[in-house]
Amino acid sequence: MLTSVFIAVVSLALFGMAAFTLWWQMHAWRTPEVLASTRFSSPDGGEQLSFSLLLPARHEQAVLDHTIQRLLESSHAAFEIIVIVGHDDPETTAVAEAAAARDPRVRVVVDTHEKKNKPKAMNTALPYCRGDVVGVFDAEDQVHPELLAHVEHAFRSTGADVVQGGVQLINFHSSWYSLRNCLEYFFWFRSRLHLHAQKGFIPLGGNTVFVRTDVLRAAGGWDPDCLAEDCDLGVRLSSAGKKVVVAYDSDMVTREETPGSLVSLLKQRTRWNQGFLQVYRKKDWKQLPTLRQRMLARYTLMTPFLQAFSGVVIPLNVAVAIFLDVPVGVAFITFLPAVTALVTFVFEVVGLHDFGKQYGLRVRLVHYLKLIAGGPFYQLLLAGAAIRAVWREQRGRSDWELTRHVGAHLDTADVRTREDVAA
Amino acid sequence: MTSTLEPVTAPRIPAQRRPAPPAATGRALPPRRLRSSRPDLLLCGVLLLAILVVQGWNISAYPAFSDDEGTYLAQAWAVQEGKGLAHYTYWYDHPPLGWIQLAVLTWIPAMLSPESMTVGTMRAVMLLISGISAVLVYVLGRRLALPRWAAGLGMALFGLSPLSVVLQREIFLDNLAVMWTLLAFTLAASPSRHLWHHFGAGMAAATAVLTKETMLLVLPALFVTAWRHSHRDTRKFALTGAVTACALIGFSYPLFALLKGELLPGAGHVSLWDGVKYQMTRPGSGFILDQGSGSWNVLQSWLYYDRILPLGGLAGALLLLATWRWSVTARALAGPALAVAVLAALALRPDGYLPAMYVIQALPFLALVLAGGAASVAHAVLRRGRSEREKRAAVYGRYALAGALALAACAYVGPRWYDGTRIAVTVDANAPYEAASRWMAEQVPDPARTRVLVDDAMWLDLVHAGYEPGLGVIWFYKADLDPAVTRTMPGGWRDIDYVVASPTVRRDAEDLPNVKAAIEHSRPVAVFGTGEDRIEIREVATAGGAR
Repeated sequence: MLTSVFIAVVSLALFGMAAFTLWWQMHAWRTPEVLASTRFSSPDGGEQLSFSLLLPARHEQAVLDHTIQRLLESSHAAFEIIVIVGHDDPETTAVAEAAAARDPRVRVVVDTHEKKNKPKAMNTALPYCRGDVVGVFDAEDQVHPELLAHVEHAFRSTGADVVQGGVQLINFHSSWYSLRNCLEYFFWFRSRLHLHAQKGFIPLGGNTVFVRTDVLRAAGGWDPDCLAEDCDLGVRLSSAGKKVVVAYDSDMVTREETPGSLVSLLKQRTRWNQGFLQVYRKKDWKQLPTLRQRMLARYTLMTPFLQAFSGVVIPLNVAVAIFLDVPVGVAFITFLPAVTALVTFVFEVVGLHDFGKQYGLRVRLVHYLKLIAGGPFYQLLLAGAAIRAVWREQRGRSDWELTRHVGAHLDTADVRTREDVAA
Repeated sequence: MTSTLEPVTAPRIPAQRRPAPPAATGRALPPRRLRSSRPDLLLCGVLLLAILVVQGWNISAYPAFSDDEGTYLAQAWAVQEGKGLAHYTYWYDHPPLGWIQLAVLTWIPAMLSPESMTVGTMRAVMLLISGISAVLVYVLGRRLALPRWAAGLGMALFGLSPLSVVLQREIFLDNLAVMWTLLAFTLAASPSRHLWHHFGAGMAAATAVLTKETMLLVLPALFVTAWRHSHRDTRKFALTGAVTACALIGFSYPLFALLKGELLPGAGHVSLWDGVKYQMTRPGSGFILDQGSGSWNVLQSWLYYDRILPLGGLAGALLLLATWRWSVTARALAGPALAVAVLAALALRPDGYLPAMYVIQALPFLALVLAGGAASVAHAVLRRGRSEREKRAAVYGRYALAGALALAACAYVGPRWYDGTRIAVTVDANAPYEAASRWMAEQVPDPARTRVLVDDAMWLDLVHAGYEPGLGVIWFYKADLDPAVTRTMPGGWRDIDYVVASPTVRRDAEDLPNVKAAIEHSRPVAVFGTGEDRIEIREVATAGGAR
């Protein structure tokens, strides 16, 4: 009896989690009207805002020049590119200086911090920004030339303080995990972020994010100690009541590649999870005015861990239902989370089809099979990253205390983690 | 425009909507909010009241109790009593969800007064089902772009046709399944084209199928409806969601069998496989158009109550399918018309099994397509080819013609429905049953130690009278077919004290040796009613000998 009740309670909790996640994941496709509202509307031509585009680059001499060239092809009239390089990185600096010499719109800022990371680099560049809006890109991004015009229109037509554009991993054919990784981005930027924008709590993405310069300065820039400074900025701005707009257009997204290996994906995910955990513990989200928003914040920031937990427990639960002698009614309840997971699976397959259509990519049968077969393994990877993040954060907490006194090796370790992933 | 985050000072943010790009279907949009449309509420409310009065008046006395009503209600009773899914071994004859719902519906009245758990009394809960279904027919009609009067006509046809009145009064699983099917169609035709409405449609459809498996037949029509009412940008998600929901819930039935270890046949237990095999290999009842075949008789029994709804509906479906290319109404009603077509085609199998309840699942669709056909005709008469500058006289002519057609229809339908309705609200067809059950309760000295064969309809009455459920008061055919019962009857007919020989028992006794022998070795001690429909209480000659 006690076992039955316990199993039923766990199952219902899992079911609730899975159902909510599914509900949010499918936000954009709820009605045709919602889907239509997730797109950029066409710019009307009048350009009044100017942009400062931050381009932090670290050991990225190979791709940097191409990225700068492409950004310079932007159709917008008023923008500057601020390339941020490290004082200990002469190769990248050389590429950036050469670009600056060719085109006056390119400027170079040198970050002289002893320990380097992305938020510090961007904070270094913030005082030099002359535009009305600060935009962030990564050194390997492929940015659409029309993007800035659309973003400007979004700013002006909605009175937004922040505009988040879409980011999409494209190389779904590279490996089984890149397939799932691409699809994760697809559901996140195509659908889920819009829900967050609507509900008033949003963890921003790492690039293709645009913030009004004065708002960003008033917020004190990025948190240099946070491993998910992008998420943190979003949480702080939305908690302070700033208006965030998300827009996604398949031909306007910033295209990226998945991490090159399973290990770097694991590391990237660990960093994000740890970052989410840090943001959770910073408690900025507690300023959100309504309980629902705070619940959403709590849940979203905990998601990596809940996901890891449910990924492990759901199969266990089904096994219990089949092999343990529980009443049929309880057995049915134990199947609820698995059924929800199955529905999620089916929607992922449909999502992959839609992804292929949106981007004109040919998705073959083998990709669908890989998507399905890879599901459980990807769950394992996520669970691993979540556990790793908790463990590191746990260890990191004590180290953090130490940093104040001795300056720590831990941060260097974190920087290394950042560098070996292309996030 | 984009989805936005307003400043936190305004915490409740309506999603900023912009119109979805127009879909290619070009259908006429129904009103977005029926709930706040006063004329709709008024019309629907008046019709609902009329339906409830006509169906509710005299509900327990007409029509005659059917064996199946007794079966399902008794199984609902077994569920309430915690005896599992049936008081005899559940053998996967039908998915159990139907009488589980009945158990829930009758729970409170049965708790307040256990004796009320009999067919006659509990027919009252079917009023609730009929009422919900009738309202859903109206809402669905409006969502399928029928004008208000036509949706009302559909609701009236569905709820007031004498055929509907008779069948919807009875405790049939089909009536519950129809309600769920209508809910599925209504959700599939949701004007907001919401992903989760379509998902819900799939869930409701699965519930319908698990209530009565024959609802599988209308799933294609449901799919067509969902397709037509989804937007091309979100269609693949909406429809996949609906199909997935339906399939996953549907699979819970085999899963249930699997968990009980009864999925596949094996020694010493029943199985889902055997149940399905039984249903699929039921002996055919002949071709429906062959005079004298079983199916022919079933058809005649429907037409006896009402010709307008079945034949008119069929004609309406044919009209809509034929005018598919020109008529907006025809395309809007594609789903119901297809449902009618599929059900009609299946009824026309050369040697299929056609149960009397078969028509129940067609009733709402027949009503909707007949109403749609009427709307089509009205549109053709009043609007087709009409220009702004048409002469007044011609316009009056159109209205005169429409009025004449309406009057003619009323003149044709009125007397027939009046007769049918009058019978339904006045005739007492169940007096012999009630009297026989009273006799068994009052005249038999020791009910608790008496064994009696009855049909399913009377079974619960005798349970309340103190007979032992299952082995004391016995569903008559279990005395031959259920090993758990025959085991307790080593002396065969000699172990039986009474047989309540209703028409059903006498008819089926031909194929049941124990029942037949018990009837042969018994003499009537009380007879209620006359002729074919009489009910005899027969006392077996060696009564009490073996016990």
